[in-house]
Amino acid sequence: MSNEVKKKYVPDPNSAKFKLGKIAADAYVDAQAAKDRGELIGWCSSNFPVEIPETLGLSVCYPENQAAGIAARGGGERLCNISENDGYSNDICAYARINLAYAKTKDAPEQNMPAPDFLLCCNNICNCMIKWYENLAKELNIPMIIIDIPFNPDYDVSDAQVAYVKAQFLDAIKQLEELTGKKWTEEKYQEVMEYSGRTSRAWLAATAEARHTPSPFNGFDLLNHMAVMVTARGKKEAAEAMEVLEKEYKENVQTGNSTFRGEEKHRVMFEGIACWPYLRATSTGLKSRGINMVTTIYADAFGFIYDDFEGMVKAYCNVPNAMNLEHARDKRVKLIKDNHVEGLLVHTNRSCKLWSGFMAEMSRQISAECEIPHVAFDGDQADPRNFSEAQYETRVQGLTEIMESKKGGC
Amino acid sequence: MSNLKEKLQAFHEIASSPKEQLKKYLEQNKKVVICAPVYTPEEIVHAMGIIPFGTWGADIEIKEAKTYFPAFICSVMQSVLELGIRGDFDGASAIIIPSLCDSLKCLGENWKSSVENIPFIPMVYPQNRKADFGKAFTKAGYERVIADLEKATGLSFDDAKLTESIEIYNEHNAVMRQLSDCLSDYPEITAADRSAIFKSAFYLEKSEHTALVKGLLSELTNTEKTANNKIKIVTTGILADAADLLKIFDDNNMQIVADNVAGESRQYQVDAKPAETSLDSLAGKFAEMDNCSVLFNVDKAIAQYTVDLVAKYQARGVIFVMTKFCDPEEFDYVIIKKACAEKNIPLLLIEIDRQMTNYEQVRTAVETFKEILK
Repeated sequence: MSNEVKKKYVPDPNSAKFKLGKIAADAYVDAQAAKDRGELIGWCSSNFPVEIPETLGLSVCYPENQAAGIAARGGGERLCNISENDGYSNDICAYARINLAYAKTKDAPEQNMPAPDFLLCCNNICNCMIKWYENLAKELNIPMIIIDIPFNPDYDVSDAQVAYVKAQFLDAIKQLEELTGKKWTEEKYQEVMEYSGRTSRAWLAATAEARHTPSPFNGFDLLNHMAVMVTARGKKEAAEAMEVLEKEYKENVQTGNSTFRGEEKHRVMFEGIACWPYLRATSTGLKSRGINMVTTIYADAFGFIYDDFEGMVKAYCNVPNAMNLEHARDKRVKLIKDNHVEGLLVHTNRSCKLWSGFMAEMSRQISAECEIPHVAFDGDQADPRNFSEAQYETRVQGLTEIMESKKGGC
Repeated sequence: MSNLKEKLQAFHEIASSPKEQLKKYLEQNKKVVICAPVYTPEEIVHAMGIIPFGTWGADIEIKEAKTYFPAFICSVMQSVLELGIRGDFDGASAIIIPSLCDSLKCLGENWKSSVENIPFIPMVYPQNRKADFGKAFTKAGYERVIADLEKATGLSFDDAKLTESIEIYNEHNAVMRQLSDCLSDYPEITAADRSAIFKSAFYLEKSEHTALVKGLLSELTNTEKTANNKIKIVTTGILADAADLLKIFDDNNMQIVADNVAGESRQYQVDAKPAETSLDSLAGKFAEMDNCSVLFNVDKAIAQYTVDLVAKYQARGVIFVMTKFCDPEEFDYVIIKKACAEKNIPLLLIEIDRQMTNYEQVRTAVETFKEILK
């Protein structure tokens, strides 16, 4: 037995990983500090236009991020059980079940966050969000502001939709001003928009480095970094951290390094939200076979590039879960082609009806157009009871064998 | 057979033979457009001289639709797609699918690849539907439906014709509300009868259905009222038309005196009121719709509405008929349960699915509930 003491890993404070991790962690600390100062704080759905609370100087927390964190640290089932005991079906999104339980118990050692004074809801990710926030508003007896961004069955966003959503953005700002006493200023909005643009451009550039073979990063990194893209895009620190990430990935390409450990034998695209309770199992299942998940739709989804208020409105209408099959398919096809992806690994997520509800057909169309194999496995973003490691292993093995045979292996 | 029985039998025949009803209209050289749930603007279809033909799927085995939907999408969507794939809607000019829940969004997307001979027409509704910007968006959605219908059928739209259709639909709404109230006084009308009357409305041109219902109402007013020894209940949910389920209600001497079921009374709550144009009138109608799990309401008015129904109709309890995998209803259930508990109203949750073949668990639950209500 070695007497060597294993040194605790200390990330470089100048690294993107450290900076991005700090931004995500500080979000909870800052919100609690604001609450302690007596400010009103909000809970906010993940694709609510972050520019609105940011410009108004409001502190918000993101229940989806908290639920993912709780699930990754093993608390998902415990909180799901609390909601189920209150009558919530176990067929309901596990993020919602975790959060509704947290709203009741107000304590989770895995990740706490301050209680909300108002709710900001946007359904461009799913309509389940509306029901979840309605119930929160009722149970907590607090105001809920909703921006309804309907699923767009057409390829392009119509003028009617832009007008409808824009009116709601303005209405939401007005409601928040009245509720919190904070004021919207054009100057601050311009600043937020500039940071959001910088953050987005750096994110898109960083993730696009996967076009190199081998990729300079392990795609599982994106699952962690996206939290900052979702919640802190409009902050100066986020722009700076993402620019560091871009620089690091570019340097990796030059030096031949990668955050993916081992030989990159195959490159896949991962479809769906991560199985947070089984992050290690899902990651190891790929890594052990030399498979790097080089891209996901997140790589494209959170690059919000726009020039003005109306452009921002349009960008929020064009997020992945709000677009039709053809548009969603083409975005994925581009990522697959740009990044030389050899296989598609689809998470059929029990928690997400919208994402999984037409994924089978989309996968077939992607597979046909890109001439790559696809496999799906059953799982859940936060409820550990809906995932089978054995099934995952079998499906990934199957995908590997097809990718190998396509390469001429045996 | 008595006149009453004959009249009821007519509803049963129509409700159980959608394919034949569709064939009948096609043989009359009428254009037919399939209307998926919920709040599909049938008035527009009707105004264009097309038969709006409702579908809420069917109690069938799902085979082909499984290659499109994962298992955890509700069986209403699964069976609508299955019916489309297996050709039950052949001859229809189009299908209109609103996108008011996540599964409905997926139905539309899957439809495009799986039923290529029947064009998909989306109807996108706003959730912020009461403000002027919401009504404007509803109207834009209707205009898009009109453009697609014109393309699919070659027929054209006229706002004046819509005024006439709105009158027909308003009259049908009123007659269905009157019917529901009237049936509470006639315990001999079974849950199965009541369901057939509501369900048949999907497969008939509305003035035809209104005439049938009026005929029944007139027959009922000539029928002597008998003592009501049944257990009065209120039902709520998306759908409650399964024959086995209705039989369990009837076997247990239960009478549905009111409902907030999407496939039954929920759709008839609001009439279109006069406005600048008939299309505005229709947008106004949608703005007023409420007490529904797929329509945003921060006050969760559906809970109070349920409690009020119980009081108004002196029901003994509520049966929540949960369509499995319907998450909007699953969220509302918790709030409705709480509201009922606060008023000491007994509530039973039963879960149903269009693919269910064994209802014995439901039977046991209803029998136990009956004992509690006693």
